[in-house]
Amino acid sequence: MYLKELTELDGVSGNEQQVREFISDKIKDKVDELKVDVLGNLIAYRKGTKGGRKIVLAAHMDEVGFMVTNIEDDGTLAFAPVGGVETQVMVGKIVRINGQTLGAIGYKAIHIQDKEQILKPLSIDQLRVYIGAKSKEEAARQVKIGDYVAFTTTFDQENNRLTGKAFDDRAGCSVLMDIIDKIDRYEDDVYFAFLVQEEVGLRGSAVVVEQIHPDIAIVIEGTTAGDDPELPEYQWATHLGDGPAITFMHRGYVVNKRVYESIIEVAEKYSIAHQAKRRTAGGTDAARFARTGAGTAAAVVSVPSRYIHSPVSMIDLNDYNNTVLLLQKILEQGEAFAR
Amino acid sequence: MKLDVKELIKELSSLDGPSGYEKAVLELIEKKIEPLVDRVWYNKVGTLIAEKKGTGSGRLGIFAHADEVGYVVTKLEKGLFARLETIGGVDPKVIFAQRVKIYTAKGIAKGIVGVLPPHLQKEEHRSKVPSFDKIFVDLSCSELGEYVSVGDICVVDVKPVELNGKLCGKAMDNRAGCASLILAAQLLRNIRNYQDVYFVFSSQEEVTGLGAVSIAYELRLDRAIVVDVTHGDVKIPQFVQIKTGEGPALCVGPVIDKEFYSKLYQTAQRNNVKIQIEPAPGRSGTDTDEVQLSGTGVRTTLVSIPLMYMHTPVEVVDPRDVEETARLLALATTIE
Repeated sequence: MYLKELTELDGVSGNEQQVREFISDKIKDKVDELKVDVLGNLIAYRKGTKGGRKIVLAAHMDEVGFMVTNIEDDGTLAFAPVGGVETQVMVGKIVRINGQTLGAIGYKAIHIQDKEQILKPLSIDQLRVYIGAKSKEEAARQVKIGDYVAFTTTFDQENNRLTGKAFDDRAGCSVLMDIIDKIDRYEDDVYFAFLVQEEVGLRGSAVVVEQIHPDIAIVIEGTTAGDDPELPEYQWATHLGDGPAITFMHRGYVVNKRVYESIIEVAEKYSIAHQAKRRTAGGTDAARFARTGAGTAAAVVSVPSRYIHSPVSMIDLNDYNNTVLLLQKILEQGEAFAR
Repeated sequence: MKLDVKELIKELSSLDGPSGYEKAVLELIEKKIEPLVDRVWYNKVGTLIAEKKGTGSGRLGIFAHADEVGYVVTKLEKGLFARLETIGGVDPKVIFAQRVKIYTAKGIAKGIVGVLPPHLQKEEHRSKVPSFDKIFVDLSCSELGEYVSVGDICVVDVKPVELNGKLCGKAMDNRAGCASLILAAQLLRNIRNYQDVYFVFSSQEEVTGLGAVSIAYELRLDRAIVVDVTHGDVKIPQFVQIKTGEGPALCVGPVIDKEFYSKLYQTAQRNNVKIQIEPAPGRSGTDTDEVQLSGTGVRTTLVSIPLMYMHTPVEVVDPRDVEETARLLALATTIE
């Protein structure tokens, strides 16, 4: 498992190189081919023993974050979200700009806010990143407009729970890397695609189908949970500890029925804990694979994650391990899978 | 050995001491200040006093509160979740997706303040900030999660960081003030104090200020300087903007003794101490307000260290302001 290293790297959409270099370095000697495409996707290939079909396993390297959009006269930085981040999770956090400069996102003290202001959600134009600079010139020596900004949460593991930033989708990246480590050769040709720019509109995945022409694609995600006291149980999307979540439909895509059912068959055959993702909000690269080029039979398997798109999310270790196991068993079915 | 101002502030900020639970903070301060003074002791309500006898007469108390804002567990929910209420005034907007520490009988439990992901939010969630009734802590990431009880103290788990020479973290309000008192005590090795000086590290400022008033009463002080923080680098309508890095702010207003203020001001001028002036037309919101009314009355002044983002986990102070405050305090002990 590579989650500690992976989640402590910065890789906001469009700026994934730290993550790509880390993964590339770890897997380059374990695969038959490795390349970085025009958009920055890292694609590894392992030849199958029969090679009758091409299967893509995909996870995205990028995470939500921010971009510096202006340097103010007082030396603070105006910023805009990259991907979906609520202002609610921004305040009171330390961020890292361009992989090095630290800054704080503060807000004016409760003592000097009106009563209505206290319970009114902030809009992003009320927030700035403070890097300790007192003028535009001083700030401009360290940062520039267009610099990427990431949260700085460090990884932790206790009580079978993993916490940190960017489990969406470093969890998927780590699952793929674990499968590569199992050095099994499967009947089908397997492509491991580490994608860019998922959080800004499923963009990296758009150029993958044309390069591979896969028969099947399985996207591995860190997906929403919502299993907390503020949501009644009927509104939960997934529940931590109940196993990988298998998606039957999400925004813009009804998952290929044959692949969806085959995944569940494998989980049941090997008694691997699994659950259905019970909400259809949110999208994944599976939608892009399905509608690109000649189309692909795409599916989604996810590690349930609490508090995603915030500086600190949480997954269950058993769910993670069961996700790796499920995908391994799927590949072991070889040509029998999703026939 | 000379204390390093940045390290001292960081060390003090890293300790947890919400109102009523200041013990760890006070123990560190006691260790640091004890070699620099004649005597240290605690009063009945958990306030630490360090006494340094002067060469002349008069009794001067120099106050800094040692407590910080925090949280207390008020309810436990099924599935290892807890609900919180605040100790002191905290804006709910600063608590989401923070790591927290909960002090249980078995040790420190880890928690995360949960937040609904954007994918699951509806209009009702977006239009209003959840109040503390709706905020919850997820304890499932802690081996001690099951031992969390109602009444356990909770703090945000943040480490101080340096931003271009400024320090950023929790509880800079008022560990920056505490640091300035310790540094002032150190300066008294070279500057001989005329008055008897009592460095007071008080408890519970963020809730009632009882730590400061109790000791002001016991010590029968002639004069008091309260050291706290004030809002820096932020526009407050009708008020002068206090700036970080420009030295401590001396308060003027009804809670300040005019004569003592004037002596302190002149001392600052004579010694080129960088200061700013901050008006407080009524109460100042610090221990000054009650210390002034203690016993038969105390001649009070208020010295405030400029601070950004007060009562958030990213409070910012400029260590140069802390050093300048320490210099002013040491010089103030020579006032006859």
